[in-house]
Amino acid sequence: MKAVLSRISAATAVLAFVVTAVPLSAQEKAAAKYVAPRTADNHPDMQGAWARRGVGLQEANAPSTPLGDFGSTGQPYPTVFNTGVFTTQDRSVLQGRPAGVIDPADRVLPWRPEADAARRAFIPKMIPPASLAYVEKAARCVLPGPLEADDRHPYQIIQRPGYFVMMYEYNHVTRVIPTDGRAHVGSNVQLFMGDPVGHREGETLVVDTTNFNDKTSLGRTVPYHSDALHTVERFTRIDPNVLDYQITIEDPKMFTRPIKIAGTFQAADPKTELMEFACAEGSQVLPNVFGFELAPGRGQASK
Amino acid sequence: MTPKRGPRFKAVLAMFLSVIPAVGQAQTGNIPRGPDGKPDLSGVWQVLNSAAWDLQDHTGALDFPPGQSVVEGGTIPYLPAAAAKQRDNFEHRETDDPAEVTCYLPGVPRATYMPFPFEIIQTPNVIVFSYEFAHARRHVFTDGSPHPAGFPDFWMGDSRGRWEGDTLVVDVTNLDERTWLDRAGNFHSDALHVVARYTPIDASHVMYEATLEDPKVFSRPWKISMPLYRRIDKNVKILEYECVYYLQDKRYGNAKPVGVPQ
Repeated sequence: MKAVLSRISAATAVLAFVVTAVPLSAQEKAAAKYVAPRTADNHPDMQGAWARRGVGLQEANAPSTPLGDFGSTGQPYPTVFNTGVFTTQDRSVLQGRPAGVIDPADRVLPWRPEADAARRAFIPKMIPPASLAYVEKAARCVLPGPLEADDRHPYQIIQRPGYFVMMYEYNHVTRVIPTDGRAHVGSNVQLFMGDPVGHREGETLVVDTTNFNDKTSLGRTVPYHSDALHTVERFTRIDPNVLDYQITIEDPKMFTRPIKIAGTFQAADPKTELMEFACAEGSQVLPNVFGFELAPGRGQASK
Repeated sequence: MTPKRGPRFKAVLAMFLSVIPAVGQAQTGNIPRGPDGKPDLSGVWQVLNSAAWDLQDHTGALDFPPGQSVVEGGTIPYLPAAAAKQRDNFEHRETDDPAEVTCYLPGVPRATYMPFPFEIIQTPNVIVFSYEFAHARRHVFTDGSPHPAGFPDFWMGDSRGRWEGDTLVVDVTNLDERTWLDRAGNFHSDALHVVARYTPIDASHVMYEATLEDPKVFSRPWKISMPLYRRIDKNVKILEYECVYYLQDKRYGNAKPVGVPQ
């Protein structure tokens, strides 16, 4: 018995040597061989509560901005219920994985010169805002678009035959993503969250989103985008506790080529229930900026 | 070696087989069901009435479609002081309606009969209600969990569901007192307790009934009922009605800022 054990450990040592000698990319391929449980319609099962990590458009050579870093974790934030999402599971699979902008590798975004100049002129007018158009989008309590939900609130995925449903606690966003092969809605329908359709590619759910309006932002230094925005997201369960996430941002009116961002969704406590995040109901940002109430109620209606 | 069967045998077999689904249909109709045998309410639904404007009998007016009462017995049993407050609400509905004027989350049960569709996404442990108006959302937990203790009120309340036969029964508490029940100023307090019942009639119709109990406002529990119609439009989807964004554009679009947010 002892001999057998020592032989196994010797074999393990050899194997470990071989594994460490393999380049990183092959290790990533090995990680990708994890096969997720299946849903009733044979899709990789990604259901559960998740914390989003690392997704954001932080660029190199960015102009300075007076805005706070709204989207990142660990910032003081006046919320009652969730000051963070706890992820206590083993996350060793994450070691060495990139996060944030991965293409371009130097994080210098492929701006069209005229679009770069326009946003550099736009940003200084945001605080104090020159007009409603310059108010930070998140302060308007609108649906956040493809990137500007935050990491402090949990997400929940549920799947049904023909649907992949992604719910955010943040501003109660619900994305019902059909996976039944249907086409996008007509091109004149513009949406804050765009129109998503999904399909399966092996272990990955690919979500193609079009029909965006131009009323959301992409990051602190990318305060708006155009209605030509198109995103492709890739969700892959690479481990029981980790979804690999990639999003390609394409906006030919802003950038000369697509930008790719990587991040993860990490398993949250399975007992997590999404709480109600009511934004417009309590926000006093715009009334403070403009000096009068959004909905005045009786007596102030003439304002 | 397949034995040959004559036409008479086939006719008898067909008759025999037709009896089995007929018995099943008497119990279940053509209601969609999930793997657990429960009715599957998933899909896009909408009411076809004017309850959003007034739950009770009302005459038509500009931007105010007419309608008959959806209240059992016709009228809402207000306590006297509450009846006076409702009349005051009605007179100031153009400025005070928290949903359609202020764009707040519409609350329960009003979200159900707003003139916008909503989608039900059903799984065994949670049934999600996603409403087009203000992208409101509710999670109805059917895992046997109780209402959370010690929690404050929510605009859309806290919903826990259970099945009674083919009826989904949803118990809603923790409702914020700032929502109204309709455009006519019918209202409730933070003591409101709603028990809603969703009973499938056939594949495309669900009977919705809700009992409202609120001892601070009503003299007794009272009930509304109305059918929900499945939206069978090709490629039907919940889109976006971002009420508050449109209101901000209207109110602040031409305004000059006076300050900086703290």
